[in-house]
Amino acid sequence: MRFLLVLIMASLLVAAVFAADGYAARQLLRADPDALPAAAMSLHFAVRRGRPLFEARCAVCHGASGSGDTAKGIPNLTDQDWLYGTGRPSEIERVIDYGIRSRNPKAWNLAIMPAYARPQPNPADKNIQPLTPGEIDDVIEFLMRQQGRPADAGAAARGAALFLGHGGCYDCHSVDAKGDSAIGAPNLSDAITLYGDGSREALHMSIAYGRQGVCPAWINRASAASIRELALYVYSISHPGAGQNDN
Amino acid sequence: MFIQFHILVRVKMTIDQEPEAAWRDPSRISSARSFVLMAAGVLIGLVFAGYSLFTARSASTLIVPAEDVALVNQQPISRADYLALLQTLYGVDLSHATQEQRRKVLDDMIREELFVQRGKELDVASTDPEVRSALVNAVELEIAENAITSQPGEAALRQFFETHKDRYVSEGVMRVIDLLNGRDSGKTKGEEFYFAAKIHLGDELFAAARSLGDGEVSKPIQLPDGIHVLEMEQNKRPVPFDFAAARAQVLGDYRNEAVDKLKLSGESFLRKRANVLIADDLR
Repeated sequence: MRFLLVLIMASLLVAAVFAADGYAARQLLRADPDALPAAAMSLHFAVRRGRPLFEARCAVCHGASGSGDTAKGIPNLTDQDWLYGTGRPSEIERVIDYGIRSRNPKAWNLAIMPAYARPQPNPADKNIQPLTPGEIDDVIEFLMRQQGRPADAGAAARGAALFLGHGGCYDCHSVDAKGDSAIGAPNLSDAITLYGDGSREALHMSIAYGRQGVCPAWINRASAASIRELALYVYSISHPGAGQNDN
Repeated sequence: MFIQFHILVRVKMTIDQEPEAAWRDPSRISSARSFVLMAAGVLIGLVFAGYSLFTARSASTLIVPAEDVALVNQQPISRADYLALLQTLYGVDLSHATQEQRRKVLDDMIREELFVQRGKELDVASTDPEVRSALVNAVELEIAENAITSQPGEAALRQFFETHKDRYVSEGVMRVIDLLNGRDSGKTKGEEFYFAAKIHLGDELFAAARSLGDGEVSKPIQLPDGIHVLEMEQNKRPVPFDFAAARAQVLGDYRNEAVDKLKLSGESFLRKRANVLIADDLR
């Protein structure tokens, strides 16, 4: 009799755990993702479940800690510098859902970095013309100046004209080179780099040969709950104190 | 027959003799325990079956799954899409959206879904070229999306790089003066990439210029417009990239190749399973 009771109790316990887990997952899905960081319990629940998902799906590129790799152009997810959006959970979730240049029709794919040392810098936009080697060097000097680093003044002035003129750089990176997170154009006026170490050589590679990083879309390969958990986990690694002081 | 009878007698004897002891002792047969366990199993099974029945994606259900905001003829409208549209249309998140904004977005999405479903019923794809084109594009994108999800390992990328090394070279740069009948023709404009110099000089002169080293002068080249002599001031020939420098391009090319392969195999699969009949005169 005791054996039977233990068996029933264990079954009930397992069922209760599953039910509670399912309830928490449903609550998580029905909540406004941007309001979740303020809900400590939900956030902790999601982060606990999101971590293994991150390790299984994202760590292969972003690294186990999420700090990325500038040698490969993999963004750092642990800082506050967001290439797409402003770092809100809903924006992170959207990137995970639909990806970046993932060929999903809803992916962020409005812009690529043209290859200005190729005859056709951006095959999708015939208006963008190549630059000469000297012009590329001038743009690099302009960017150096924008970052407050030593630069050749004459070349930087010519580079500024190109940046705002027929180079067309301003169209994505904005006139002050501070970028545009609505289309994933990086800020070129700060010390944070996506590709390389910020040296002239690294800048030359980006301008001359172009960039177009890809992040896959997970919407058809992962459940909505796991994508939300993943999004909140990514949010948590860039906001280490999130949910600690709130209810 | 004899064995069955023997078991029945043994069971009856066990139950009759010590029913309480048999219930508690798992090594002994107890019909009461069997009945209770069976009932518990049935109950648990029913609970799981009921849960699965009402929450499964493909099942007809009255419950809207947590990841969706509505079901239109059992077709879900995703919560993610709803939030994205709310953000796009009104620039607000869910908690800051008014009831009216929420309702408007939901109504729009339901309307769209109803019309899409009606479009399927009417089979508009068979008549509307735009729908056909959109469908073809969507299927191609779906194939490509699958290829992009798998992340190739470094070894695969390196192998791809080694196989296609000729693709990963820098663009050559030259500064050359083209003298036509002894005067600068003005065709070249200072330091230029090879592709630009080729456009400006033409194929024949570019081929001659490309072979010149720094400071070298070409032999006279007779062309319809006169005699050309090339003075090469500086010729930086294309330099092969190492793997680290080329990696981003290698990854892009690797993925594009994988997408092309998948598209081909997808089309091949569709052709294999299709029943295509071609008119006699076009065979």
